[in-house]
Amino acid sequence: MEEVDRILIHSLRHVGTAVPPGVQTLQAFTPELVVKAVVCCLRVINPAVGSGLSPLLPLAMSERLHLAVSLAQACTDLGYPLELGYQSFLYPGEPDLRDLLLFLAEHLPSDTSDDADRPAGDSSLLLRAIGGQMRDQLALPWVPPLLRTPQLQHLQGSVSQKPFHTIRLVMPELSSRGEPREFQASPLLLPAPTQVPQPAGRVASLLECHAIQLCQHTGRDRPGDEDCVQQAPRHPTQEDTRARWQWLQRHLAEHLRQTWGRPAAPSQAGDLRELLQAWGAGTRTGASKGSRFTHSEKFTFHLEPEVQAAQGSDVPVTSQRPEQDTKAAQEQELESLWEQLEGVNRNIEEVEANMKTLEISLIQVEAERGQTELSTAENKQALRLKSWAVELLPGGAANLSKLQLMVESSAQRVFHLAGQWEKHRVPLLAEYRLLRKLRDCRELESSRRLAEIQELHQSVRAAAEEARRKEEVYKQLGSELETLPTGVSWQGYTHRILEVVDNIRKQKEGITKILSDTKELQKEISCLSSKLDRTFAVTDELIFKDAKKDDAVRKAYKYLAAFHENCSQLLQTIEDTGTIMWEVGDLEQQIETEMGKKTLSNLEKIREDYRALCQENADLLEQVLEA
Amino acid sequence: MEPEEGTPLWQLQKLPAELGPQLLHKIIDGICGRAYPLHQDYHSVWDSTEWKNVLEDITKFFKAVVGKNLSDEEIFQQLNQLNSFHQQAIMKCLKSRKDEIKQALLEEIVDISSAQLQDFDWQLKLALSSDKIATLQMPLLNLHLDIKENGEVKPYSVEMSKEELQNLINSLEAANKVVLQLK
Repeated sequence: MEEVDRILIHSLRHVGTAVPPGVQTLQAFTPELVVKAVVCCLRVINPAVGSGLSPLLPLAMSERLHLAVSLAQACTDLGYPLELGYQSFLYPGEPDLRDLLLFLAEHLPSDTSDDADRPAGDSSLLLRAIGGQMRDQLALPWVPPLLRTPQLQHLQGSVSQKPFHTIRLVMPELSSRGEPREFQASPLLLPAPTQVPQPAGRVASLLECHAIQLCQHTGRDRPGDEDCVQQAPRHPTQEDTRARWQWLQRHLAEHLRQTWGRPAAPSQAGDLRELLQAWGAGTRTGASKGSRFTHSEKFTFHLEPEVQAAQGSDVPVTSQRPEQDTKAAQEQELESLWEQLEGVNRNIEEVEANMKTLEISLIQVEAERGQTELSTAENKQALRLKSWAVELLPGGAANLSKLQLMVESSAQRVFHLAGQWEKHRVPLLAEYRLLRKLRDCRELESSRRLAEIQELHQSVRAAAEEARRKEEVYKQLGSELETLPTGVSWQGYTHRILEVVDNIRKQKEGITKILSDTKELQKEISCLSSKLDRTFAVTDELIFKDAKKDDAVRKAYKYLAAFHENCSQLLQTIEDTGTIMWEVGDLEQQIETEMGKKTLSNLEKIREDYRALCQENADLLEQVLEA
Repeated sequence: MEPEEGTPLWQLQKLPAELGPQLLHKIIDGICGRAYPLHQDYHSVWDSTEWKNVLEDITKFFKAVVGKNLSDEEIFQQLNQLNSFHQQAIMKCLKSRKDEIKQALLEEIVDISSAQLQDFDWQLKLALSSDKIATLQMPLLNLHLDIKENGEVKPYSVEMSKEELQNLINSLEAANKVVLQLK
């Protein structure tokens, strides 16, 4: 159990519970520590629930009870299967506490495995909160300056809402003497916050005052160089400025190293840096819409601080104007605009109707034009034929014979051409056939190849599919590997777990061996008892036969019977002792577990708390009566 | 004995002695740029015109005494009309807050030029990108100046790149050099 406790405490420390180094087992957990651990776990599991609970156990009994009840409620809401009440937190028993903490440790989110390496202190919580806030603000779309709500103006505007005005504060000084000291110690010197009349300037004045003090302090730290912080420095030479500059640089570097050099710090700032890096990457690619958005945002903001200042001063002026006047004027304008719009709409409708009728008439006219064009073309053809006929009419017979001659010659030419065509046609036809055959062959070949290619394609696709699948599996495995806890501290625990498993296996072997031994023994016992029974029956019969005849034998028979009875009684007693011993062991175990629950001390504590509660109630009652 | 009218601070005589130091310190607060005392706290002692006179007189008196750097005897001479409680209260006040009043007077003297710097504030910004350049990483400084011109405070806001800021610092340093040489 110690190993389990150590692992539990280890994970509790990861969550941010400050478990004292002396505490090694759950037995040493005080109620305060229990409450702190449970609240820390709840804060990591469900921040909404956990943030409402205080990790410190209050002093008053009733508040303690209240906190414990709400903790129990929160754990039950998370799905804790066992019974849980306020007593589990205020009077923790070791086994119950172990169950509860194991349950909570199992419910810790697994994606914080890399977070688990960093301590979850207040500062890292703050940094995480800042990172989250910035992410939210970056996710907001950019809004033009005129459309911004005050909240957005506050987020996206570049002009600060509250100007930095300071007033010199008077503080008590250790070095003052005489009357000034008397004044500074008297109540006549107001507290610093009330010295500033405007609440807006309080922070600024305090910051300024602090900066001056810091400046004087560092000046005093540096022997021989006080004059560099005095109000009227002596004439600064070139070397003087440079020396001051170097001194300042050195101090800054030292300060930075002190605050950031600690090993935990970088991981604490991880959230912020992660965010900034993500942002930087986004702008570098320039492809994502968001980054372009933010570009324009930055650009506009840096260009127009004056514009925004002007807007900032404009808005209140318009709001100060009498509202009714503006409203009436706006309504009038709106009405006139509406009227204009209606008039324009009407005009548009009229013009549209006109256009429609005109279009229809245009189509009709076009159709008519087409028909007339057709008829004119026909008429022209007829006219040409008729004019030819009229030209040929004078020398009719000669023209007719000429025409016949022409017809014959053209017929002969046609015949001749047909013969020539035949001559050309035959080889061309042969060639055509040959080519067709070749083409068929090629087609066959190409179709075969096509099939092959398709087959190949399919195999390629299958291979690609397989590759993708394997890639996915690889990725999944890789992510699983990443999510697996890799901390060095866990390796020791896995080793120990393996050892424990080995031990358990050995013990199991021993148990089976013992079990088989027990079985053998039982078998032997039953064997022996049956043998005894049989022997007794045989002896009994033998002696009983002779008992009627002989007195001595009768006596022997009696003794035998008595002997047998006593022996069986003895056996019975031994068996009873065995069972009683077993029961005793069982009871002892129970007693041990009960002792482990610290019942007595818890009862004592409960009695004390009850007394405290009674006292509180009595006090309250007294107060009520007094009131 | 009633002190004669016209001598400075004679009206202070009306004030109960235990209220004296509080009023005086409040008025010095006012001189140093914080809140002046309110009439409503003293309306049982003076009416509003008297209150104005009292305020004016005491302010003038403090400024004069500190400005001329009078010795204790000379101050006592001016106060001889008052009773000893008030005299002591005023002396204590003066001694404990002389430095503050001097500082305030010095600031008033500085304010004689036409425009003076009342306050300034600055913000350092890092422009990550512009609409033309994806990765800019350019530091910019927003300088806000509150300038008092003819009695009213006007805010000015300037954005500068690194070189411009260096130019400004150089010119300011040169100006400082000239001022020091004038002394």
